[in-house]
Amino acid sequence: MTQKTILRSDELSCPSCVPKIEKALNALPGVAKAEVRFNTGKIEVEHDPAQSSVEALVEAVRGTGYEAQPAAF
Amino acid sequence: MSNLVSRIRSAFVHPARRRFWLTVGSGGLIAAGLLARYGFGMVEAWTALMVAAAFVAGSDIAIRAWRSLRVRHFSIELLVTVAAVGALFIGEVWESAAVTFLFMFGGWLEARTMGQTRGALKALLDAAPATATVLRDGDPVEMPAHMVQLGETVLVRAGQRIPVDGEVTEGTAAVSEAAITGEPMPAEKAPGSHVHAGTIAENGLLRIRATNVGADTTLARIIQRVEEAQEEKAPSQRMIERFAQWYTPSIIGLAVVAFAVTQDIRLALTLLVVGCPGALVISTPVSIVAGIGRAARSGILIKGGQHLESAGRIDTLALDKTGTLTEGKPQLASIVALGGVTEAELLHLAATAEAGSTHPLGRPIVEAGRKNGPLSTPETLEEHAGMGLSARIDGRTVAAGNRRLMDTLGIALGQEGEAALDRLLSNGQTPILVARDGQLIGLLGMSDMAREGAAEAIARLRDIGIGRVVMLTGDQHGAAEAIAREVGIDEVHAGLMPEDKLELIRKMKADGAHVAMVGDGINDAPALAAADTSIAMGAAGSDVAIETADIALLKDDLGKIPEAMAISRATLGNMRQNLVIALVTVAGLLAGVFSGDVHMAGGMLVHQLSVLIVIANGMRLLRVPKATAPGGRAAKAAATRPATVAARG
Repeated sequence: MTQKTILRSDELSCPSCVPKIEKALNALPGVAKAEVRFNTGKIEVEHDPAQSSVEALVEAVRGTGYEAQPAAF
Repeated sequence: MSNLVSRIRSAFVHPARRRFWLTVGSGGLIAAGLLARYGFGMVEAWTALMVAAAFVAGSDIAIRAWRSLRVRHFSIELLVTVAAVGALFIGEVWESAAVTFLFMFGGWLEARTMGQTRGALKALLDAAPATATVLRDGDPVEMPAHMVQLGETVLVRAGQRIPVDGEVTEGTAAVSEAAITGEPMPAEKAPGSHVHAGTIAENGLLRIRATNVGADTTLARIIQRVEEAQEEKAPSQRMIERFAQWYTPSIIGLAVVAFAVTQDIRLALTLLVVGCPGALVISTPVSIVAGIGRAARSGILIKGGQHLESAGRIDTLALDKTGTLTEGKPQLASIVALGGVTEAELLHLAATAEAGSTHPLGRPIVEAGRKNGPLSTPETLEEHAGMGLSARIDGRTVAAGNRRLMDTLGIALGQEGEAALDRLLSNGQTPILVARDGQLIGLLGMSDMAREGAAEAIARLRDIGIGRVVMLTGDQHGAAEAIAREVGIDEVHAGLMPEDKLELIRKMKADGAHVAMVGDGINDAPALAAADTSIAMGAAGSDVAIETADIALLKDDLGKIPEAMAISRATLGNMRQNLVIALVTVAGLLAGVFSGDVHMAGGMLVHQLSVLIVIANGMRLLRVPKATAPGGRAAKAAATRPATVAARG
């Protein structure tokens, strides 16, 4: 079962981070699709929470150097 | 003690805070190094301190570069790491320390300022309360706002934000709707009123039956719309991104070639440092995010960079009259009965026919008719777009509409009818002619009021450089002229069918004008679609308007039109300024690198400065004044500024 999780970060400062974060998220198990929207700082991930939890997503984004929080919309 | 340890740990887990402290550390080491060398002449200490500074700041950059590399991504961090390590190997400790420090420091500043640019939207996000107080079995229960069930009763006390969309069931309050409509005046809410999530109950105590929660509230939908708009790429942004895709790899290639040809490792490393077109890729998005965010704060929804760009070029504005320039709630002003029919009979017939229609002109007639007793339903009803309607009532044909309808149906007005028509028209009233079985039986005079602030809004539009303001209306000349005079419009096209409006818009465009059309209602749809920019009013209550218009005003306020235009113009200008700044920086840096004037630290400094200048320039859009100040002047002042900035860059 995949679910869609939205993370928000206010730390994205250069669009070069977009492919970096997307690749890091896509490298996680169970992530079907990861999209980073630079202009708004919104990160949309379709993932299987059984394989990669929301915390794991936040951790992966943190690994690339940015803090993000899950958001309701 | 354990408190301190946990604080240090949290500072290192949180990437932004870690980077901040690493930057501070490396800056301190560099300062100490400079002091050691130039204060005390200790060259060894200076070298050691610089290497340490490069390691402190560089460690984070290198780790990020490595993590990206593991997922097969060549990051900017990798370029900087290679350049910094290379500089250490050739003994340029100062360059290495300065490059890593500036990269970290610049990144920190950029993240902060970029966050502020996105801040306009953050205010909207923060308007959505996280928790709600729900009455369950008579007891108040606190819960996350998006977990409230539809139909549940939510309790809102004075000073609280309303957490859901809903209907007031009990209590009254003055509710500030600024978060949704940008309107500072609170609205009175009583049982039966609809309230929106994110608005504030200034006083009183409200019980609200939840009709929409979480992501379904108007506020959430507006936020989603604004974000989609901010993400929608303007044409110029796409062009730049294509350019940027090639820029970085070609700079790396250039560095390799330059080293192969000149054997100058310093030149090659400097090229790597300036290899990120930072200011360029951020130039357009920063303007768009700031411009759309600024507009959203005033209840103006601009649907994307593309529409911002086209709205910034508008020089001609066409407005629908009814419902746009006017309240759209015409009142029944006079009744003229002819040919032996009583006024009551005339009104009853007209009201019965209009009861089946949704045309705004019909409503007051229906209301007036209902006062005299219940209305029956016509047997058949046919609407003639732009003319009126005809119906079968008790076996007789009743037609109600404008003069063209009568002409089309071949109904003669007669002397009496013509005289009454002229009288109504000269009073600026909209006449509705009523005929029964092919015979004119009377006229109804309708009058509509110009919206408050319409004249000021039109004057302001002229101030900001919209040279031509045109009224397009299906209404008669007399009524149109009366409203036009009142609000200060000199070009009036009256008596138009929907396709005539479309034709006029097309003609204006063919003559080279950039046309915006303001309207509501189905009869404006073709003209709205044909215009370069379509503007819909009063969109807070209508999803259709939010979906279809290029610019949606959440409130019925004509003053928002000049404000939206001023913001668009300022944004378009801002985007151009940023492009110039970025291109001049890139060109200047490359020229400087090859002429030997720019070295690694200098290159990094100029690069980071240009990014900050571009962001700071974009942030000025957040301060585009509210409707009152003429935007033309602000735009002009802005246009002269970048020249000096660019020269410095």
